[in-house]
Amino acid sequence: MKQLYYDVKKCLGCKSCEVACAVAHSLSDELFKAIKEEKLSLPRKKVFFSKAKNYPVSCRHCKDPKCVDACMAAALTYDKEKGMVLHDEARCVGCWMCVMVCPYGAVRPNLKTKMPLRCDKCKDKKEPSCVKACPTGAVIWQEEVK
Amino acid sequence: MKQFIIIGNSAAGIACVEAIRQRDKESKITIISDEDYPSYCRCLISYYLAQDVKEDKLLYRPASFYKENNIEVILNKKVARVDPKKNRIVCEDKTALNYDSLLIATGSSPKFPDISGIKKNGVYGFRTIKEIKEIEGLIPLTRAACILGGGLIGLKAAYALKKRNIDVKVVIKSPQVLSQMLDFEAAGLVRKRLEENGIDIILGNDVSEIIGEGDIRAIKLDSGKAFESSLVIVGKGVSPNISLVKDTEIKFNEGIITGELLKTNIANIYAAGDVCESYDITTGKHSVNALWPIAVEQGKAAGANMAGDSVKYDGSLGINSIEFFGLAVVSLGIYKVKEADKEFEELKISNEKEARYKKLILKNNILVGAVLVGDIRPSGVLLRLIRERINISSIKDALLCEDFGYPDMIDLVKGGEKIYV
Repeated sequence: MKQLYYDVKKCLGCKSCEVACAVAHSLSDELFKAIKEEKLSLPRKKVFFSKAKNYPVSCRHCKDPKCVDACMAAALTYDKEKGMVLHDEARCVGCWMCVMVCPYGAVRPNLKTKMPLRCDKCKDKKEPSCVKACPTGAVIWQEEVK
Repeated sequence: MKQFIIIGNSAAGIACVEAIRQRDKESKITIISDEDYPSYCRCLISYYLAQDVKEDKLLYRPASFYKENNIEVILNKKVARVDPKKNRIVCEDKTALNYDSLLIATGSSPKFPDISGIKKNGVYGFRTIKEIKEIEGLIPLTRAACILGGGLIGLKAAYALKKRNIDVKVVIKSPQVLSQMLDFEAAGLVRKRLEENGIDIILGNDVSEIIGEGDIRAIKLDSGKAFESSLVIVGKGVSPNISLVKDTEIKFNEGIITGELLKTNIANIYAAGDVCESYDITTGKHSVNALWPIAVEQGKAAGANMAGDSVKYDGSLGINSIEFFGLAVVSLGIYKVKEADKEFEELKISNEKEARYKKLILKNNILVGAVLVGDIRPSGVLLRLIRERINISSIKDALLCEDFGYPDMIDLVKGGEKIYV
């Protein structure tokens, strides 16, 4: 199972990954069209700055996900085969329980769409868009380190 | 092969059977519920009434769940008492069932105040899908409704009825809404948002009488004032369903008392969910935290232990997340302390204009509570600081910052870090 890793020594905090993420999850999948979409696509990843280093933060798809347990609408499930927390938008009511219990603060609320923003590893693409977008190679897409 | 009996078919009961089945595919599992419906998302009934979700989305597990997991489910049957000496339960219809291991996850029931007219048709506790369907039937005939109590259930009911174009008045005894999860200032922001969206909030008043012969016609307040209403929702809190353990040796206080394995004082009887009284990690006392996510984590741990594991439950705490008309609110642990109480320290920022509020409560540099309104993004990491009882002295200055996040506490949390290399 592939996971996202980050070489924080290489991360410049340029937020190219955030932009790529927002574009990848827009309707058009193109930057200059995406910024004009009615419901602006927001990044599912955020770069935090702490003690002179930059840390990209996004859903880690925990094996024992607290968000799935807390979801009162059964909109979240954990898919063992894919190693992913799946979000069923049709069931989600935007109660933000998942935001409240994420131990990494990696799930954020989109108050406009009333849907939580969570990394889906760009499931329809070959690899997450943030990987290619990173100019320094700080975003690493590789088999899980046990 | 063992016989497991689970009394209750909601959050705790389902989490329990899933945990058992992860470890034991063979033993017999029987779930008993006094409701006439497969497990459903109880917290969504207000959204259902508001027509935000359809009925098919209410099911908590797919229809095939019980069969796939080889679980016998008995609906519409109420357990009258537990007989720990004989390892059996007796139902109201006198049938008895034997168990090797038992989970009591009977949940809680709305508290109804003792006022004139409270037993009339048209007064509801807003707890079950059955009640919601009855209310649904009354909607075309209802012009005005009254909510007794300004707690989470009352306000969610108010939102749903308003969405159905019914005039809603919420009558609240205390001087604020959500007095069991917010302080006065945060509650003020919520009240304002509700009022801006057409919900009438009457504070510092109680209903003294529900008036009407046959059908409800009006509501009378303590102050003597009366107003029209044909539907009443009671949201005055809930009390654990413990009648089945009264007159047994199972220990209870407000709820059924459990230890760190979610076990009662009887070796093969466990309790979880709204009926369970557990150690509260923020107050240090045993208490009932009747909340969906807490019920799931308790049911999960209880199920693991019933199947022979030894999963320690660290304790519960009050955790609430809710959104009203675009205003997100989170409350964690202790949400209010008396000013004179020097044991606690408060860190706070507020911006009334933008409806933003953040308050953190510390005790000996350990976070024991938080209230967030508007921007709830850091709630997950704050909850982690509370749960892991992390000494925050080294990050105290950063806690209230707009961009406070997980990286600020990376060196302090349990579990180590693998994804940053």
